[in-house]
Amino acid sequence: MSDSPPEPSLSSLPLEQLIACHECDLLMRKPVLQDGESAECPQCGYELFSHRHHVVRRSLALVLTALLLYIPANFLPIMQLNLLGQTSQDTVWSGVIGLYESGMQGIAVVVFLCSMAVPLLKLLCQLLVLLSIRLDFGRSYGLLLYRIYHHLREWGMLEVYLMGILVAMVKLMDLADLSIGLGLFCFIALLLVQVWLEVTMSPHQIWQALSGEDIHAGD
Amino acid sequence: MRAIEAGLLVCHECHQLNPVDTEAEHQYCSRCGGRVHERRPGSLVRTWALLLTSAILYIPANLLPIMTVNSLGKGSPATIMGGVVELIHLGMLPIAAVVFIASILVPTFKLVGIALLLYSVQRHQPMSARQRILMYRFIEWIGRWSMLDIFVIAILVAVVNFGSLASIEAGAGAAAFASVVILTMLAALTFDPRLIWDNTETDHD
Repeated sequence: MSDSPPEPSLSSLPLEQLIACHECDLLMRKPVLQDGESAECPQCGYELFSHRHHVVRRSLALVLTALLLYIPANFLPIMQLNLLGQTSQDTVWSGVIGLYESGMQGIAVVVFLCSMAVPLLKLLCQLLVLLSIRLDFGRSYGLLLYRIYHHLREWGMLEVYLMGILVAMVKLMDLADLSIGLGLFCFIALLLVQVWLEVTMSPHQIWQALSGEDIHAGD
Repeated sequence: MRAIEAGLLVCHECHQLNPVDTEAEHQYCSRCGGRVHERRPGSLVRTWALLLTSAILYIPANLLPIMTVNSLGKGSPATIMGGVVELIHLGMLPIAAVVFIASILVPTFKLVGIALLLYSVQRHQPMSARQRILMYRFIEWIGRWSMLDIFVIAILVAVVNFGSLASIEAGAGAAAFASVVILTMLAALTFDPRLIWDNTETDHD
């Protein structure tokens, strides 16, 4: 945490040496960070930016892993239920279909967006952004996609869905014979990789790389 | 010193600093091309509007059944609170607590909390800026967790599907509840946290 007291000369410094906190608008000198460090706003404690090693390479590996897990996580059965000889399976997708067919189209669309569409779109945006940095190609589209990603971020709710699975399991345990499917493990793996990816892909470095300020970003 | 006093605007999207261009009617970020504003336009009014809409929907969300459990021809509708009580009867206290917090405490806290933030920014209430920003961050972070009950319904509807033996249907309360969650999340997004600090600066002057 760099605590630079306000100086009268602050506004006369060139823009590259300044940074403003996004949450409280405090203007300060931009701290220089080593790999693995992060800077916080001295006034409100918001994380200004962080600097990580090999951002693009590590993020690419994580994005590809997440995309591979996406299909099994959403379409393999999360759980199976046995009731008096009848079996039924649950996948993320069948939850959406079930709601849609029971006449709750509105909620079906919300569940589809939060648990399937937004997480996939986020991953695709991240993949294309990273590729455009890595291959040095179409960076203006990269900027647009990364803006879209930031608007989507709030609306992907995989971790909430996982908690929903747990609650549903507890509710069903007494009612019928319940067994866990492979889909659940893929879903948990997808969630973990996605969280890891969000921590690794530090936005400040990606914005700099996209705008061409950092020539080593593709490494 | 705040960036706005130095004639600098922070981009909402990529956090790049942009010098104020007094001649341009609409200003765009030099790095990412997003619109830059001093503060989010109409932040307080929009947040109030979203908040009031969700407060109205909060009533049917809690009173109407969110799902109906059909078992051997008998249907029993359950409200949000009913689901929590059922979990307590099953002896699942930790899970009952999670559902109670996510579906009842959090939405209520969000409605009250955002109203309090708006009121304190407009009326210069004695709450300190630190308390306000902590509350704002907490509301922003916790908002998504209220979707829990909606996902539980989606899973139950899909898996409990044994025809006349047993089935579960979603109810109208679920639609109202989902709207409350989405509208309060939007309200937290439209609220510009920098207003909290603008306000305290003028308090001290």
